[in-house]
Amino acid sequence: MKFTIDWLNEYVDTDGVTPAELADHLTMLGLEVDAVTEIFQDLAPIKTALVVSVERHPDADSLSLCQVAVGPETLQIVCGAPNVRAGLVAAIALPGTTLPGGIKIKKSKVRGIESFGMLCSERELGLSTGHSGIMELPADIPHGLSFIEALGLNDTLVEVDLTPNRPDCASVIGIAREVAGVIDRPLTLPVESVEVQPSTAAFSVDIESSELCPRYGARLITGVTIAPSPWWLRKRLLSIGLRPINNVVDVTNLVMMEYGQPLHAFDFDKLVDKKIFVRHPRKGELEFTTLDGVVRKLDPEMLMICDGEQPVAVAGIMGGINSEVSDSTTTILLESACFDAISIRKTARKLNLSSEASYRFERGVDPGGCLLAMERAVMLLCDVAGGTAAPGGVDKYYGQKPFNTLTLRIKRTSDLLGIPLDYEIVEKALTSIGFRCKQKDADSLWVGAPSFRVDIEREVDLVEEVARLIGYNTIPTTLPTVQLRYPERDTSRTIRAEMGTLLSGIGYFEAINYSFSAEKHLQWLGLAEDDPRCRFVRLINPLNEEQSVMRTMLLPGLLENVQRNINFQKGAIKLFEIGKVFTPTGDNEQPLEKTRCAGVLSGNRFGESSHYHFKEQDVDILDAKGAVECLLHELRFLGVGVLAPLSFALPDEGRMESFTDPLQFLVIKDGELEVGYLARIIPGVLRKFGIKQDVFFFDLDLDALCQLRFVAKNFTSLPVFPAVNRDIAMLVPEHVAAGALVDAVLQTREPLIEQCEIFDVYQGSKIQQGYKSVALSVTYRSAQKTLTEKNVEKVHVKIVNMLGSKFEGTLREG
Amino acid sequence: MEQELLSLQAEARKNLDQIADQGQLEDFRIRYLGRKGQFSVIMRELGAVSPEERPRLGQLANTIKAEIEKVFDEKKAVLGSSSQSGTKGTALIDLSLPARYPERGRLHPVTQIMNEVCSIFEALGFSVAEGPDVEHDHYNFEALNIPAHHPARDMHDTFYVSDSILLRTHTSPMQARIMETQQPPLRVIAPGKVYRCDSDITHTPMFHQVEGFLVDTKVSFADLKGILTVFTQKMFDKDLDLRFRPSFFPFTEPSAEVDIACVICGGSGCRVCKQTGWLEILGAGMIDPEVFKMVGYDPEIYSGFAFGLGIERIAMLKYGINDIRLYYENDLRFLSQF
Repeated sequence: MKFTIDWLNEYVDTDGVTPAELADHLTMLGLEVDAVTEIFQDLAPIKTALVVSVERHPDADSLSLCQVAVGPETLQIVCGAPNVRAGLVAAIALPGTTLPGGIKIKKSKVRGIESFGMLCSERELGLSTGHSGIMELPADIPHGLSFIEALGLNDTLVEVDLTPNRPDCASVIGIAREVAGVIDRPLTLPVESVEVQPSTAAFSVDIESSELCPRYGARLITGVTIAPSPWWLRKRLLSIGLRPINNVVDVTNLVMMEYGQPLHAFDFDKLVDKKIFVRHPRKGELEFTTLDGVVRKLDPEMLMICDGEQPVAVAGIMGGINSEVSDSTTTILLESACFDAISIRKTARKLNLSSEASYRFERGVDPGGCLLAMERAVMLLCDVAGGTAAPGGVDKYYGQKPFNTLTLRIKRTSDLLGIPLDYEIVEKALTSIGFRCKQKDADSLWVGAPSFRVDIEREVDLVEEVARLIGYNTIPTTLPTVQLRYPERDTSRTIRAEMGTLLSGIGYFEAINYSFSAEKHLQWLGLAEDDPRCRFVRLINPLNEEQSVMRTMLLPGLLENVQRNINFQKGAIKLFEIGKVFTPTGDNEQPLEKTRCAGVLSGNRFGESSHYHFKEQDVDILDAKGAVECLLHELRFLGVGVLAPLSFALPDEGRMESFTDPLQFLVIKDGELEVGYLARIIPGVLRKFGIKQDVFFFDLDLDALCQLRFVAKNFTSLPVFPAVNRDIAMLVPEHVAAGALVDAVLQTREPLIEQCEIFDVYQGSKIQQGYKSVALSVTYRSAQKTLTEKNVEKVHVKIVNMLGSKFEGTLREG
Repeated sequence: MEQELLSLQAEARKNLDQIADQGQLEDFRIRYLGRKGQFSVIMRELGAVSPEERPRLGQLANTIKAEIEKVFDEKKAVLGSSSQSGTKGTALIDLSLPARYPERGRLHPVTQIMNEVCSIFEALGFSVAEGPDVEHDHYNFEALNIPAHHPARDMHDTFYVSDSILLRTHTSPMQARIMETQQPPLRVIAPGKVYRCDSDITHTPMFHQVEGFLVDTKVSFADLKGILTVFTQKMFDKDLDLRFRPSFFPFTEPSAEVDIACVICGGSGCRVCKQTGWLEILGAGMIDPEVFKMVGYDPEIYSGFAFGLGIERIAMLKYGINDIRLYYENDLRFLSQF
């Protein structure tokens, strides 16, 4: 909602209150002021000028050579306007001035004659589209003045961001009422009350669906002359950014802004049978051309204003071109009606057409105010368009509601707000903006809400009014008295938090991607069409193709992040994301939402760590394994020395992904259940995402992890006796997994064996082809005594022999 | 020559014996062992010795020098262990070299702020509840007193999945979900992702909110002011001015928007606060009786408040981030700043 201070002052005197103070008052009343701006400042350099003499340009018939007085100076101006004449007061842009359209005025030569500025048309000043000649100013305006001051254009525009519950404030009077209340000054209205005498038979109004049209008022004005509006009226509209059209349309717009009541003027002579019929479109009425020249498709639910033959307006939204007021119009049927908010809203949606009128009807227009606005418009039309109001008119009022009196309990209000209140305070607050109050009993009062407050229906609505009017900032600040209770925390949330801390602790940055993604990304991964991850929760109204489905995997988003970072020269990337993926369950059903934790790693293993200490080295699959192992270990899903439920395993036959390297793929299993996997992404897939370097990936099912038991923290006594370390280097066939040797050692359950670790794997010229050397370090310890070489030797030999026979291995010499 | 060497050996040994501190040791080093020291001088003179003599004298010189260096090192070790003060010229490690530690990652700034917000409310005894991102129209709108065709739906540009299923436009559906299954007293916050079909420099189609509500007997608007005052002061680490101004949400009444004094200019007016000196940080209000009725609470017995805040907005204010789109590009140059 926009208005100017000058306009506001027509209804309430704000003298002594600065625009900033006014804005603050409104904001604190819940009418949030978005902007306060001085208007027409772009016209500040324009001056008023008096045309002293006009001669024909010696070299061009259509141009005039004028002498123009601007204060003490007289300037020579070449002007092409047909209406330039001696004695005319005009607006002049002197050299150096930039006009609102961006044109910069310079001293110039026009057909050999110097011109020291430009006399401006309304279009050049940005005041209208009229370009038939230069703007003619009232003759009594002296020359040499500032144009905006001379025309009284100095004004301040205030823009209010209205909440949907306050349609009454979509009007300058509505705003003025709030202002009058808060600064305690009287409100003056142009029309206070009116009654319409039923008219004789000049025209008739019939309403087919009265529930959609609670009130329809109409008057006839004859003998109007369509012309541009007088300056004061155009100025009002211009000041809030509305384009003046002609006197009749301008009056309807002005009164709509003033009262918040949309009005429409029909050219009465174009209405067939001199009839108004409010109804739905008939069969065959499929299209309608609105005032903006657009052909609209109608549907049977829309409410139309029709004449004896056809629709002439979309009710409450926009008039039709077939009944539009034109220059030849002499008789006007003025409509001031009220339409059902939901019906208007649905129609506006369907037509994708929103207007100042529909904005107001959708939020609720007071049927009680129709006639006041109509009367105001009639007065103005008679005044500015020279019309005569035909006596009487039509007022079909079906939707009159019984006057709504509410009971407001003072104690209840005090309790809800947390501030002591009494009758006087409440009454003073409510009556300041037109509520009527009467004491009911010791604790309560009757409150009558004015009809324009369509939002007031319940006691709590009044409680809010009281709070708003006494000011939220007068309400004290206290803390609630509550019972102490322990807020339970859920496992998933705890685990997610820990995962974040752990992964960031080992060098991973957290990414957050949109929950929607592009279908094509999954095609790029090469997923089969029947892959469950290609069944999407699809948005009906996505912003674009890239965000059209809910994601089923975290990988595509992370790959996009990898690509972006490589583009910005960050080649060392470790990212993780913990987020939901979505699986459809059925039409009109909520999908399954599963939480996963995924990570990608690529480029230098040490990232931004000091290159002086950490030499550049690319990550590999074991870094991905490391991240996952660290995570699961720290989350206590993997335990020390205990046979924990989780393990890394090679994938079963057939368990493969289209986007992963089959030789670099590990699954994380809980018994037989897969809870995640890690892999190298194949270059072909990466290329589709614009990535030319190796990327590794891990993906864990967080919901599955949450179901697992934690490995309990359990104290083991610290060893008393020293350990003995013995190394074994075994030559084994190259296909043997080094880890299998460790597992085999540990599985012997030899009580003396405390630990077994791989410390080297070698394959090369020094050993037999097809073999590799796996070096293990075995730690022996006894809880009873210090081990001797002899104690250890016995077990050690057993181990070596076991490894030899189990893996076709031999002890490597030297 | 040989004599010279031997006397230099004797002199150096004697001097070295007498040295009592690091300073003297350094002087000794310069005098005998340095580049311009006496051994160097003698070494250079070896060039003038006859070729027959040169190997023998050269070897002798080296032996003597090595012996003196050895004694010097021993002395240095002795002095070094008895005095803790390093002295100029000793072979010190260059402390300007980069520190050695592996790079750490960071949590996303949205997560960091989210954690901070949640922990403030958890400290006040609020429990945390999370709900679905893909929500029923019922919980997102109807149960919050926003019937179909209510103009308030204009405030929510909604992504739809079907007629009745949508991406939640706020975290408020959790109010209805929790109240439907639990009885007061309630103190809950609901963090999560929310979606609006809107994308420009100040809007992303997905963002994060935290909803909070407290329901009990005798909860007042003054209590709402109290809780949110505690929250903003903890969140922004100072005694910020706070103002509550009337607003409208269909599921609260009275409703309020809460502004804090501009953290950029301190309230004097700047570009960020559009010269008002205030920054809007959250919406709140007393839970509307209609919402209570829909979940079967008696509004005559229970009252409560609810509030909702945008995480990105708070992060922007706290960290001075000026483009909301940066949040979801996951550019390491951005992520590593927080």
